[in-house]
Amino acid sequence: MKVAIAGVGMTKFGELWDKSIFDLAEEASVKAIEDSGLDTKKIDAVFVANMLSSKLDGQDHLGAVVATLLGLSVSAVRIEGACASGGLAVHQAVAAILSGIYETVLVLGVEKMTDVSTCEITTALMGAGAEEERLAGLTFPGLYALMARAHMEEFGTTREQMAQVAVKNHFHASLNEHAHFPFEVSIEKVLGSPSISYPFTLFDSSPISDGAAAVVLTKKSVRKGVAIRASTVATDTIGLAKRKSLTEVAATKIAGEKALRQAGVSLSDIDVLEVHDCFTVAEIMAMEDLGFCEKGEGGQYVSSGQTKLGSKMPVNTSGGLKACGHPLAATGVKQIVEITNQLRGNALNRQVKGAKVGLAQNVGGTGATVVVHVLQV
Amino acid sequence: MTNLVSNWRQAKNIHKQIGKVAKIVSWTKVYVAPSGFEADVPYYAGIVEFRNGQRTTVQFVDFEDEPAIGQNVVTVVRRIGRQRPQDVIQYGIKVKPY
Repeated sequence: MKVAIAGVGMTKFGELWDKSIFDLAEEASVKAIEDSGLDTKKIDAVFVANMLSSKLDGQDHLGAVVATLLGLSVSAVRIEGACASGGLAVHQAVAAILSGIYETVLVLGVEKMTDVSTCEITTALMGAGAEEERLAGLTFPGLYALMARAHMEEFGTTREQMAQVAVKNHFHASLNEHAHFPFEVSIEKVLGSPSISYPFTLFDSSPISDGAAAVVLTKKSVRKGVAIRASTVATDTIGLAKRKSLTEVAATKIAGEKALRQAGVSLSDIDVLEVHDCFTVAEIMAMEDLGFCEKGEGGQYVSSGQTKLGSKMPVNTSGGLKACGHPLAATGVKQIVEITNQLRGNALNRQVKGAKVGLAQNVGGTGATVVVHVLQV
Repeated sequence: MTNLVSNWRQAKNIHKQIGKVAKIVSWTKVYVAPSGFEADVPYYAGIVEFRNGQRTTVQFVDFEDEPAIGQNVVTVVRRIGRQRPQDVIQYGIKVKPY
């Protein structure tokens, strides 16, 4: 399988009070189209990933909104799969291109989150969970905390190991001008920050961010040479209680294995990785479930230093969701933007030297949807 | 949070779920709550497993000490969150120590 990435673009992620969802959508789209060198008229379809614009912006019909911003009159639809919306939109665009209907597709992920209170966002986010989880007064930090608590109990994973994920991702974000938090933090700062949902503190959690990211995908091979070699999706029960295990995300295992087969690569071929670290424990479980270490050894693996830039297996060079920021539907597309920049050799002071193959893992809810992409140059 | 009709629909099944013993599979203490639960913070919630092997997600009540994984609990009827004065009160299942 081969679909070329012709162009990529993103806005800064953060609390962008002077920018609306429309400003963000336009900025990222225009940047990706300019980067592709293609005329806007070459775009055959627009896939817009977004989770909460109905609730937070009062705006539905986002496909038409973005088509209007770009002056296009082609097919334009919105795709929603909670925090995996971005990855899903890329997947649907790949499928549409491979079907032969469209030659060139713009995928945009956009989310405007900071106009409302934390309480409103916390409530809105629970739309990605199960009804019984809402009735239990649970939150997304709370649901991931249940997984973290189980991981600690079963494997002896420590708070310090989890905190190392945040420390490492903040270091990477300090090298990324688009990051929400472009600065380093100490392990003491992470462990000592206010409790959100035991055992998590504020610094275990990805932030509430505004932002957008876009990619132009095309059937034709392109000058800069990066292509999507695998695009897979797996699903699981919407609620956490119905899963076989609280210490793994089964959909990551399924989508991950499938993606490696589809791309014809093995784990040892992967040079750079973006995983869905919405909470620190999620990065630990992602490394286990993708197969980079044994189940239960993720805590040790992430705190050993080998996932830091310059080491064996750099993970989340963008800063991840934790420190680059997490504007829900923009995240899955941003992961593709980051890997593309790495494979093009355009990642500036956070470049992974000689990177040829990259993998992105994007999760919706607590793992009810997982999307995995493999990119190669 | 919920409207009158969905409240009525859920309430019809509450009586079937009362007095069931379960054990705690995992728990958390919520400090930042969704709408309707702000007045309860901090509160415990988690996943419990019934004797028939089924699991559910519930809020914990009447815990004086920190919950423990494996601890026995029993289901009880309680008010769910807080409603505005003009709204119908929502009831549902929570668990307390057994």
